[in-house]
Amino acid sequence: MGRMSKYRVLSAAAVASAALAAAPAASAQTTVTIGIGTQDTTTNTATTGTIIRQLHLLEKYLPTDGKYATIKFELEWQNFTSGPPVTNGMMANKLQFGMMGDYPLVVNGFTFDNNPESKSRLIAVSAYSLDGSGNGLVVHKDSPYYELSDLKGKLVSVPFGSAAHGMMLKAMQDRKWPADYFQLVSQSPEVGSTNLQEKKIDGHADFVPFAELLPFRGYARKIFDGVETNLPTWHGVVARTDFAEKYPEVVVAYLKAVIAANAWLREDPKRAAEKIQDWTGINKEVVYIFLGPGGNMTTDPTIKPQLIEAAATDVKVLQNLGRMKEFDPNKWVDDRYLRKAYAELHMDYDAALKSTKNYEIAGEDKFCKRPIGDPRKAGEVWVEGEAIAPFSSAACTLGAYADSKAKGKKINVAYVFDTARGIKLFADQAYFVAGGNNELSPFLLKKDAEAYATQVSGKVLSFDDALKSVVSGG
Amino acid sequence: MAQPADLLTGMPAGTAPPAAPPRPVWLYVRRWLALNSEALRAVLIGAVALGLFLLAWHLLTTYRVVFFVRFTNVPSPAAVYESLTRAMHDSKFMMHVLLSCRRILIGFSLAALVAVPLGLLMGRFKLIHETLFPITEILRPIPAIAWVPMAIMLWPTNEQSIVFITFLGSFFPILVNTLHGMSLVDPVLVRASQCLGAREVSIFREVYFPASLPHIFTGLTVGMGVAWVSLIAAEMISGQYGIGYFTWEAYSLVQYSDIALGMICIGVLGLGSSTLIRGLGRLVMPWNRT
Repeated sequence: MGRMSKYRVLSAAAVASAALAAAPAASAQTTVTIGIGTQDTTTNTATTGTIIRQLHLLEKYLPTDGKYATIKFELEWQNFTSGPPVTNGMMANKLQFGMMGDYPLVVNGFTFDNNPESKSRLIAVSAYSLDGSGNGLVVHKDSPYYELSDLKGKLVSVPFGSAAHGMMLKAMQDRKWPADYFQLVSQSPEVGSTNLQEKKIDGHADFVPFAELLPFRGYARKIFDGVETNLPTWHGVVARTDFAEKYPEVVVAYLKAVIAANAWLREDPKRAAEKIQDWTGINKEVVYIFLGPGGNMTTDPTIKPQLIEAAATDVKVLQNLGRMKEFDPNKWVDDRYLRKAYAELHMDYDAALKSTKNYEIAGEDKFCKRPIGDPRKAGEVWVEGEAIAPFSSAACTLGAYADSKAKGKKINVAYVFDTARGIKLFADQAYFVAGGNNELSPFLLKKDAEAYATQVSGKVLSFDDALKSVVSGG
Repeated sequence: MAQPADLLTGMPAGTAPPAAPPRPVWLYVRRWLALNSEALRAVLIGAVALGLFLLAWHLLTTYRVVFFVRFTNVPSPAAVYESLTRAMHDSKFMMHVLLSCRRILIGFSLAALVAVPLGLLMGRFKLIHETLFPITEILRPIPAIAWVPMAIMLWPTNEQSIVFITFLGSFFPILVNTLHGMSLVDPVLVRASQCLGAREVSIFREVYFPASLPHIFTGLTVGMGVAWVSLIAAEMISGQYGIGYFTWEAYSLVQYSDIALGMICIGVLGLGSSTLIRGLGRLVMPWNRT
């Protein structure tokens, strides 16, 4: 899409030289433009793009000594809504760095194979979900579809060539469904969301943040989450090799900025979600479900072997579609810059590489008056103007929700976790199973809830009924 | 185009065909060449220019020329030709082309049916002009791609949304040219016909319409071109078929030679349809050879 905003920011070097008010020095300087292609609306690239740009983190780390003493850097940020235009800009050498999802990344690497000037290399990961959450399929909230098989023969749109497309193909492959099981058509997120709202299509599969954003905006319901494919999904950063070889210190500086952005995010996830809402227009409650503690995305710059394996699977899918020839993702990874950035910041890269832990909800449940035990059974309530409060169980979360509501407070959102899959859910979109001992077990899918209800001989409740049950039963 | 055979058979009735000695073939050929020399010249020069264009494209991309404009990654004609042969073996490609043609045809026809009468009325009646002109002038500069979300919401089916966008593309050039044609109608002719007792309907039929017809046809030719221009925006909605969609999908998978193939295809189809309209124009207005 053509929507693009430019930010021109003078580098720290330029600011420093201006501070010296040394007019003669300016003539000796050469200007190097660094083009960075971001996807602001794709929330899980925030730590490699939006946050760095808005907090001017890159300027802090750009080299100023040695051969860089005479170089003035000019940053040119360009924002896009999907990966392919970023690849296009990189091919044209207007962008030296670009961030995108797994499928567009692989296409990026493959496309650069034919570029005589430069190749592209994967230099860092923005965020990932090892079980494939983030991508999802939504239907209109009034539609009678509750699981993927309900959409047999129906019109389903997905942006072709995106991570969500990969999820759909994998889901169909796993179930041994033929290629014409759905009427699968290609629609960009903008077109697909409008079509879904107008009920022109029966389902829309999309990447971060749309599978959460559309339900949050109130007209859609998620009936399939990428976790069911169990194929990792992730976003990453690629850089042009001609630039990286000429200015390796700049690449390292950029990666240090990525690490700093990660630290800033985890320091105060609520503040980060609110800021990202201001910068990108994606609702803070949606940002938080991805990037907050126990969120559906883990932000981590290290390039994990599991993700590269997943990329190899993506290559196979694209080859089967006749969209790609030979491409080896292993040769396309270049972690030298990232390792250097970690080393210069005195951080242990290999330890970070091994860990696949996200940060989790912790603290004291002030409603049920006990500490958080299992963070993936916990919940959170976000009252407007207050801190996001953690609760130890779904029942406690709903209890606190009802309590705040009774006190006349405005509640932004409440989160619970899917009992079977451990993914974070909007409480008001979940199905709850009421078992014995006032237990409440939240589920994303109706069928999971029903199966569990039979198992524990409980019953399936909607959010409103579940709320009533906590109030009366508590 | 006048065929030589027509002219030859137009001989006096007295000469019986069987009695005439058989004419050698070369005579027919020479005659035909002489009659069509102008057209042949144009075709020949056109072909040479196209050939040069292809050659330049080939050389620029083969040697990956960079002189401010950079041909480093632009696909070569050979690569595009390869895409074309692949596409030709795929029945889907014809489907793309046919569906696009159908959409353009419907959108364009509707635009002509609405814009021409509207232009005539706006040109004739001041009140209608004053009422509608500001609205059309505001709507006219809005690019097709900006209409996409509105088009999806306005129409019950996506096919209608697509046709609507091509309709918008053609509508304004036709309307503006019709208005222009109406403004150039010689008032003396109108007064003369009024003096001779012609009623409003006759004046429209006999004076306004024929007089503005050349401009209407200019509008139709331009409108047809713009309909193709808006095709990619329109078919972003389709998600399945259409040559605009084909090009868009190639973009989302970063396949440069398929993008070029889609572009050329749209260009050639646009040329074909504009030629058809010019031909129609010659038939309708034999007095207006341009």
